[in-house]
Amino acid sequence: MTKLLEVLLLDDEPIVGRRLKPALDKIGCRVEVFENPKEAVARIDKKEFDIVVTDIRMEEMDGIQVLEHVQKKWPRTKVIIITGYAKMDLAREAMGKGVFDFIAKPFRPDDLRRIIANAAEALGSPIDFSSINNEPAE
Amino acid sequence: MTILEKLKKISHKEPRIRHFCIQTIRFKKFLENARALLDLFDDGHEKVLGEYIFDRHYVVSLIDGVVERLGMMVYDACVLVPKSGEGLYVTYDKHKLTAGNLIGGTPGSLASAPSASDDPEYQLLSDVLQWFNGKHAPDDTTVMGFMKQIFFSVIQFDAIGGIESMDVMKTRALFENSGVAATDMGIYLVDLWKDAQALPEERRSINDFNSIPLKHLLMDVSGKEAKTGSENIQNGVAWVAAVSEYQLSLNSLKPDFQFRLETLASGYEHSDFIFIFADKSAILDKILPAGFHIESTDYGQFAWYLDMSAKNIEDSLMIIGRNLLS
Repeated sequence: MTKLLEVLLLDDEPIVGRRLKPALDKIGCRVEVFENPKEAVARIDKKEFDIVVTDIRMEEMDGIQVLEHVQKKWPRTKVIIITGYAKMDLAREAMGKGVFDFIAKPFRPDDLRRIIANAAEALGSPIDFSSINNEPAE
Repeated sequence: MTILEKLKKISHKEPRIRHFCIQTIRFKKFLENARALLDLFDDGHEKVLGEYIFDRHYVVSLIDGVVERLGMMVYDACVLVPKSGEGLYVTYDKHKLTAGNLIGGTPGSLASAPSASDDPEYQLLSDVLQWFNGKHAPDDTTVMGFMKQIFFSVIQFDAIGGIESMDVMKTRALFENSGVAATDMGIYLVDLWKDAQALPEERRSINDFNSIPLKHLLMDVSGKEAKTGSENIQNGVAWVAAVSEYQLSLNSLKPDFQFRLETLASGYEHSDFIFIFADKSAILDKILPAGFHIESTDYGQFAWYLDMSAKNIEDSLMIIGRNLLS
């Protein structure tokens, strides 16, 4: 049996977690959703996730800080940044700091699933991508 | 050279031709803003279908974009037809108020159709689309309804670039005296940039104009030019075309046939388009090829085709030219 990918999803907009969690569950991810970055970082301190997906602009702590924290604690973890509408400048900054990839809102769940599949492959735990494409639209 | 620099170079040799050129260029800006609004509508509709992940920032940005572009359209309309300004700005202020209420209010307050999701962001976007062009909303409360009103304000009083559009004889005399009648076709031809600076010293033929859309429009008409030309000499020239390399603005001068075609044929698909306004008597099905979006209103008929490939725009203009001018 294939090992489930451990994914932490952090976005202060509840709609993101609510819509993405079921989409990622379907491709073999075990997803923990957070809206508060400090709570997410506390969880990261306790558990090594395969992939962290985080919004870039949040109150209290931004996605770049989350990225730096993950890199310090778990260098193997792949971090994917979600950028807000037209915030590509911040995305470029994140790329310079070693983020695995980024995705700009609005996006389709399939767009993120493809990036997750790439990250899984980079981790040596590839996902059967054909199962993603056969999924009905969300 | 920027548009502003070009306009600064325009001399005062023929102020009414210059005015015609400036109004035509302003109408192009007006259309660009209308087009940007339609793109915003399309983007919102695409997102609300339920497949997208977006947040409130996206919806607020969409609302802000609509308010901004609508304001630009109103401004352009006021430049083209100054007396329309007061009424349009009153309605525009109402739309700004609606936009503010959407951003600050409770999603679902516009009694929109149920959204594909219970998420407040989706509900808010549904409300915004209801404001854009809700099927059950009164026309005068929607952005699309207001756009039609703005168009009508401009088209009705500015059918040929603001030059005494109600006085056809004076208009014809202006073009005739300016020496812009083509030697080989029954049409007045105005070079948007050169003629605004100095009127032509001698009459020109179609081939003297390096305008891609004009060449497409006349591609299938040229074989009949003798017939068309002689008919028009007898009946008086019925068309004026203002052109640049990639632009064409074609207007009917017939008092009983209002028709205006605007097109950009730059070769860049995302920006190229054909826009047409025709009075209610025009049978657009017999003039236009398939693919146009046509809206019939109390004011007349609007038709447009956006995002046209180079081949598509060439074929369409050729068919329109044949049906209109042959």
